[in-house]
Amino acid sequence: MSQQQFDLAEGFRKHQEEILARWVEYTLSTYESSDFFKKEKNQFANPIGGNVRIALGELLPLLIKGAGRSAYEPPLERIISIRAVQQFTPAQAVSPLNAIKHITREILAADPESKHLNGELYDFDFAVDIALLAAFDIYMQFRERIYSVRIREIKSGSIVLTDSKCPSKLLKPEGEIPMVQAGI
Amino acid sequence: MSLPKLEELSQSVWQGPSLSTGAIPTKEWMDTPVTFKPGGYAYPAKKEKLEYLDSQPGLNFPFARIWSPEEDDWLLPDNWKDIILKGLAERLDKFRSLKIFMDCCVRCGACADKCHFFLGTGDPRNMPVMRAELLRSVYRGEFTLAGKILGRLAGGRKMTVGVLKEWFMYAYQCTECRRCSIFCPYGIDTAEITIILRELLYSVGIGINWVIEPVSNSTKTGNHMGLQPLPFRDNIAFLAEDVENLTGVKLDVSFNRKGAEILFVTPSADAFAEPGIYTCMGYLLLFNALGLDYTWSTYASEGGNFGLFTNNEAMKALNGKMYAEAERLGVKYILGGECGHMWRVVHQYMDTMNGKTPANMEVPVSPITGTVFNNAASTKVVHITEFTADLIKHNKLNFDTSRNSHVRATWHDSCNPARAMGIIEEPRYVLDHVVDKWWEMPENTIREQTFCCGSGTGLNTDEIMELRMRSGLPRANAVKHVVDQHAVNTLACICAIDRATLTSLVDYWTPGVTVCGLTELVANALVQKGENRVDMPEGLRTMV
Ligand code: SF4
Ligand code: SF4
Repeated sequence: MSQQQFDLAEGFRKHQEEILARWVEYTLSTYESSDFFKKEKNQFANPIGGNVRIALGELLPLLIKGAGRSAYEPPLERIISIRAVQQFTPAQAVSPLNAIKHITREILAADPESKHLNGELYDFDFAVDIALLAAFDIYMQFRERIYSVRIREIKSGSIVLTDSKCPSKLLKPEGEIPMVQAGI
Repeated sequence: MSLPKLEELSQSVWQGPSLSTGAIPTKEWMDTPVTFKPGGYAYPAKKEKLEYLDSQPGLNFPFARIWSPEEDDWLLPDNWKDIILKGLAERLDKFRSLKIFMDCCVRCGACADKCHFFLGTGDPRNMPVMRAELLRSVYRGEFTLAGKILGRLAGGRKMTVGVLKEWFMYAYQCTECRRCSIFCPYGIDTAEITIILRELLYSVGIGINWVIEPVSNSTKTGNHMGLQPLPFRDNIAFLAEDVENLTGVKLDVSFNRKGAEILFVTPSADAFAEPGIYTCMGYLLLFNALGLDYTWSTYASEGGNFGLFTNNEAMKALNGKMYAEAERLGVKYILGGECGHMWRVVHQYMDTMNGKTPANMEVPVSPITGTVFNNAASTKVVHITEFTADLIKHNKLNFDTSRNSHVRATWHDSCNPARAMGIIEEPRYVLDHVVDKWWEMPENTIREQTFCCGSGTGLNTDEIMELRMRSGLPRANAVKHVVDQHAVNTLACICAIDRATLTSLVDYWTPGVTVCGLTELVANALVQKGENRVDMPEGLRTMV
């Protein structure tokens, strides 16, 4: 290895911003009409773009560090909670995470100073694999959460905005109570 | 071994037909047919409910039938196209606003990114300008010369079954919240375009049950839930008993009492469903503390008006019933509870739609402060929040804010009272007095710019829960911010639909947050003569 060449940490330091930008861009491209999601920086005007940017921005340095599953979970939850209720298949919901492997390779390879580092990404790949597996679990947690929200809504009585399940029907004798009978 | 390239990864994961949201687009929007899958649409209106409504005088709900959005054949009447085009022609003639909205959009795109459905899905047809274009393209293609001759070149197209299906998909991915309209330089109100789309769909028997059943119930028994007078009375009496047990104050509650000064009308969900019942307990306690001469009606037992989500005849009829009851009971005016679309109808449509109020009604005056509510001179209905704010302003209520010490609140401006009606400062003023401190969400998500709960206009049904979570994301995202920053644990609002739907929304996005009404917080903090409260660590929610 020549003296001028970077080590992996330097390679990431130099290219992290570009890697992140491409990763955010790729993730947002999975939405049909994504120009606005990519452009608008205010996270309240643009919740999908904002949360993707925040989550991936937190996740990338953790993956580079190999910080471990529990560290990856909060940013993964931020992003997967959203994708779990959008019209994605499970694979589509998590696949942008996997893309970071390819994005990293492409960017490192394009720079002569960091090209050689592609052979040293085993640990990084491993971290991405761990995150991806965690993302599947998190996806399922949020799917289960949505089912329990639905059940709770049905049970809570919020659903009695129509009479089909109205408990007061149980109070009623057969037939209808004439209004005069109410004595009120 | 080389890893697959990015494009290959994309292809292997993104293969298959383009979904209506989420996938990478391959075609022009006009060429992409909509597909209906379970979870992607609300269940169609039940045949017997439509038949019942169609049998009522003044209402028109034809072509009741059993059909499924998932089937190719929607069993439309043979002359469906004539009905739709004639209906559109009539409405262009009758509603000047519609004609203007059809003609004056310059496609500047200012509205495009303002809709919570777009922000939660990335689906271009959920951009307000595109939603309107679904109708405008037919208007151009069938009604304008340029469109008739140039067709697609002039942005026009013919009315087809595919277009009708698209209308059904996207008229029910709009909550008529009007957020887009405040950003449009021409004031184009896409909500009104959705209203017309839904009306036209009903003219060929296409609608959703979550809207039609409440309309049918309200027409029949006076409220969404189909509660008849006795159960309705018993529910309120039961809540009054709870209040008595908690506070030691004996409540005086009357029903259908002729000669009362005020008729109180609120959503029936307040009388029956959590968490609205706590707000209802709040009303009972507040009115009792004031010694208000008011009555409930077991017939006008619904503030909500789902007629707004069907057609203008049904909206008019349901609004009219409150006034029929006000006339029968001989009250001076109506006090309206924490409802959403009731206020939209009263504030925006009633004057031209229903006309004059009954002769016995008067310009509302607060019996406690003497304030004349001139803003309600024509409709004779006062909003509970302006009524309460006026009481506070005149020092008529005593509060102990420590009774709300379990509450760390933020305020959700419900679309209808806030954006459509301008009730923005009053609830904030009330909150300032009943809790020690509360926190605002980011400014581009509140007041006129508030984000919808995502489930309004009859979309609060559980079969489309994922859709509701997507469309509620912009609201939930702002709630999450104040939860993270200030440990907020309560989302307060003045809309019954919001109270129900936000509960599910926060259960998904920010579990642990409670949703409540404003009057619940008022009553929690209210100090009144003769009270003998038990320890109430959770206010009116405390179990005894
Ligand atoms: S903001 Fe108004 S004029 Fe501009 S595209 Fe939207 S509807 Fe049309
Ligand atoms: S009215 Fe609301 S839901 Fe409908 S298009 Fe406008 S912003 Fe979207």
